[in-house]
Amino acid sequence: MSVSRAPEDGHIRSENVFRRFSLAQRWEHLILLVCFAILFLTGLPQKYRATTWSQDILSTPDRVKTVQTIHHIFAIVLVLEVLYHLGKAFYLMGKRKLSGNIFPTWNDFKDAWKMIKYLLFLSKEKPAYGKYNFEQKVTYWFLFFGIGIMVVTGLILLFPIFVTRFLPGGVVPAALLAHGTEAIIAMLFVVIWHFYHVHLERLNLSIFTGKLNEEEMQKHHALEYKRLMAQAKNDPKNGGRS
Amino acid sequence: MPVRRSTLYVGLVVLGFLAIIWVTSIWGNIDNNQVALAASLPQESNPGEPTPQMSIGNETCLKCHGQPGLTMTLENGDVLDLSLSADGYSTSIHGKKGYACVQCHTLVGDYPHPPWTAASRRDVTLTLSTTCYRCHSDQSEKAQDSVHGAALASGNKNAAVCADCHTGHAVQRLTDPKTGLLSTSSHILIPQICAQCHNAIYQKYKSSVHGAALIDENNPDVPTCISCHGVHNIENPTTAYFRLNSPQICAKCHTDKTIMGKYGIPTDVLTTYVADFHGTTVSVFEKQSPDAQVNKAVCFDCHGIHDIQRVDNPVTGIQIKENLLVRCKICHPDATTNFPSAWLSHYIPTAKNNRMVYFVELFYKLFIPAVLGGMGLLVALDFGHSLSSKIRKLKPTPPPAPPPPIPVEEAQNE
Repeated sequence: MSVSRAPEDGHIRSENVFRRFSLAQRWEHLILLVCFAILFLTGLPQKYRATTWSQDILSTPDRVKTVQTIHHIFAIVLVLEVLYHLGKAFYLMGKRKLSGNIFPTWNDFKDAWKMIKYLLFLSKEKPAYGKYNFEQKVTYWFLFFGIGIMVVTGLILLFPIFVTRFLPGGVVPAALLAHGTEAIIAMLFVVIWHFYHVHLERLNLSIFTGKLNEEEMQKHHALEYKRLMAQAKNDPKNGGRS
Repeated sequence: MPVRRSTLYVGLVVLGFLAIIWVTSIWGNIDNNQVALAASLPQESNPGEPTPQMSIGNETCLKCHGQPGLTMTLENGDVLDLSLSADGYSTSIHGKKGYACVQCHTLVGDYPHPPWTAASRRDVTLTLSTTCYRCHSDQSEKAQDSVHGAALASGNKNAAVCADCHTGHAVQRLTDPKTGLLSTSSHILIPQICAQCHNAIYQKYKSSVHGAALIDENNPDVPTCISCHGVHNIENPTTAYFRLNSPQICAKCHTDKTIMGKYGIPTDVLTTYVADFHGTTVSVFEKQSPDAQVNKAVCFDCHGIHDIQRVDNPVTGIQIKENLLVRCKICHPDATTNFPSAWLSHYIPTAKNNRMVYFVELFYKLFIPAVLGGMGLLVALDFGHSLSSKIRKLKPTPPPAPPPPIPVEEAQNE
């Protein structure tokens, strides 16, 4: 994250803007969002075949074929995105440049506990967060493992004959159940948890704009704000400009 | 020259004779059509009612046709036996009820019979079978709509008509007059009747679990040919429609607790089939697009068509995975040993019969309330907290200040 400072003059209020997500990260989120939505919409009628709305949509073999093809295409896009994401992480790890911000620490558990106390009116103090608060880390890792389950079970369902060469046959119906259930959980999670935090609690569009303003930084990422401001002071080369 | 003239005379006589035969045969056909037409008129179709031709008693006919050795040679050289043993007819359902020969044989006319011939014995059967319509219009119409009727209409003269199954003179009652259902003693006759043409299938059926129970034990619970294929309106069993609908045919008996209870066979086979991937697809298309070509497995793909065996048969039963694999490979040629267990074998997954599915189910049963519930709670708390702090902010009481109403204060500020 870096700080960019607006030019100061008499008429324009000076405000620091903090770059939160790189362009690549914003694209990744957009691809994930699109894949997630389409996979969910094309998967739902395949899961609930006993319902009339599903039977009306998937009423002929041709329609099933079409919906499955769309599902598979976006599944492949999602798998490619996952491979890019992991590949980039491993590449950065190899160069010792992978940021540790997203990894959970003991502090996150303490933050969660503090937050619960705060929400129950047992304490007036809100925890101060770094670049990612514990809620954002939960979002990332919940979907990280969720997508992991979806990709593995999805591939089992796509290649059942190949898979049963090495694994017992029971993995196929187990994968079918896990794929459908995990999909619903992931969607519920996104709606209940993620949408609440980025739309209802406060409108946070930083994943699309890539930026947070000073006020937002101070309020929601106080520790990171302090760190960045200190860094900017100690770096007289550009005065904190990026 | 005289020789030539005499040949001419002979030729003319022969030609004249042929012309008479031709005209009478056309007349016969017209007559035939008129009868068929008349029979189709509602006021004429009064089953069992004697027709005016009743005046000719059966004894009259049997005077000649009761004598053995009365034959005629048909156009293709077939010899048509015109004798009839009086007993054969009198023990038939029609004989017992006192129907007259001429009620069916409407074309023979008075004696001496008008000249009549047919191309072959098969043609005689085909022509005479149309007479059944006069009384049995319902069954005849069904038969006309059947796969046999369609084959006949498309020119296959071997297609079964009434008399092929019911015989010409020795027609027996096959149903119980009280229930209208097939009588117990008739069950065993059905496969034999169909076997006259479909012998290869009969041989398979004989060795199947159903066929063996019928033939060896005369068990009335097992299906005969007509239980699955229908009685007169026998469908083409090779259509997409038949395939999609076939699980319902098996389910007729296999979901019936009173029949299955006798043999300890579970009745949830249809629901467990529909719950699994093949059955889900088949059951949806059966409802939504019954004529769609669907290659998903139906009952007979795994259990066999006519050679259905017990699943626990020690040699051929498909409870043995190797036997099931053979079936799987028909559609999934690259399948290996583990593949058949991908199918849940009509089980509701439990810890015992499908551990993996059961544990995945258990995992999510715990995971959903624990994790999603916890998150939901946290979100609800957060929402409640921010709502309450917003309400507090709206209240015009910051404790130290005196409480003038906000609008006034705003007005002052302006």
